[in-house]
Amino acid sequence: MTCPLLDKSAHNELLLDYASGRLNNPASAIRKARLERHMEECPACAAFRIEQTAVWEALDLWKPAPVSLEFNRRLWQRIEAAAQPWYNSLAESLRMANWKPMVSLTAAILVIAAGFMFDHSAARTGEHPGFSNMTIREADQVEQTLDDIDLLHQLDAVMLPAAANSKPM
Amino acid sequence: MTQGVNTIGGAAPPLDRDAQLMLRVRDGDEHSFGVLLEKHRNPVIHFVFRMVQDRAVAEELSQEVFLRVYRSRESYEPTAKFTTWLFRIATHLALNSLRDGRYEKALQRLDAPRPAEKDGELPAREVSDKAPSMEQRMVYETRLQEVRDAIGLLPEKQRAAVLMHKYQEMEYSQIASVLECSESAVKSLLFRAYETLRARLAHMITGAAK
Repeated sequence: MTCPLLDKSAHNELLLDYASGRLNNPASAIRKARLERHMEECPACAAFRIEQTAVWEALDLWKPAPVSLEFNRRLWQRIEAAAQPWYNSLAESLRMANWKPMVSLTAAILVIAAGFMFDHSAARTGEHPGFSNMTIREADQVEQTLDDIDLLHQLDAVMLPAAANSKPM
Repeated sequence: MTQGVNTIGGAAPPLDRDAQLMLRVRDGDEHSFGVLLEKHRNPVIHFVFRMVQDRAVAEELSQEVFLRVYRSRESYEPTAKFTTWLFRIATHLALNSLRDGRYEKALQRLDAPRPAEKDGELPAREVSDKAPSMEQRMVYETRLQEVRDAIGLLPEKQRAAVLMHKYQEMEYSQIASVLECSESAVKSLLFRAYETLRARLAHMITGAAK
């Protein structure tokens, strides 16, 4: 039970249009009548039409869901929000933001940062253990040098008048 | 800005009513956008709902569709029918959502049995004026589930083509414009899709034919 016309896309289109009621208009009357005459003699096309009509009617079972009553209001809100300049949107976002978790978060970050800095400064002083000792040693050396210079000055003060008195006239 | 609207005797074809409204929206008339929204809201939501098979997702995506239309108002040019443009956006968003896999759950649920009211189908009482019996209701729900499954399992483009052909009653040429392919490609998509549906719903068809 086959029909060679079922392999032709134009004939298939005609059958689809027939089953979907798209030939029910005066402009398609001749095409519709010709197809009906063909189907009276062609069991394959008649079966195709019955199956396609049944699918078409089965699809009618699927009624759409009712639309939310909030749909329009939500859309207009989004449109108004989109129409605002960016700084207004930012200000609005900041105003609407929940700051409580932000405060806790900031405090936690500060505590962690303080701990890190304390640890880091301690590590830096421990990084050059000779630095403090060397400074003390240098200070001792400077002090020793100053003492030596002072001693030399005192020695000069004693020695120079004695040398002047012993010089022949 | 709307001088093209009244082109009747000129070379350009007259604009459809929706395109005229959209041109007014472009000129700052928000009321016209409200008119377009009222007219096309339900068809768009229903189309997207049947594509993604999830009511909440469908409404969210439909919001995005109208938001994009509004945002594009300043660059709007009536080069095609308004509904072609609108459904192109809707199809694009629905296909992207399905491809992203964000809404795969909705389709995965196709295998699981569920009541017809879930995701917002109208209850069985909408089918008949009389209150249905429990048996009628169960039969209706089973058949509805089978229809949903059969459509949900179609490849995405075939699904979109069938939904536009069946529920939006679009012409082949308009479906082709929405899907950005040739008219013959659309016919091919539809033939294959209906062939699959005839096979998947064969048991319902046999019952109907008897």
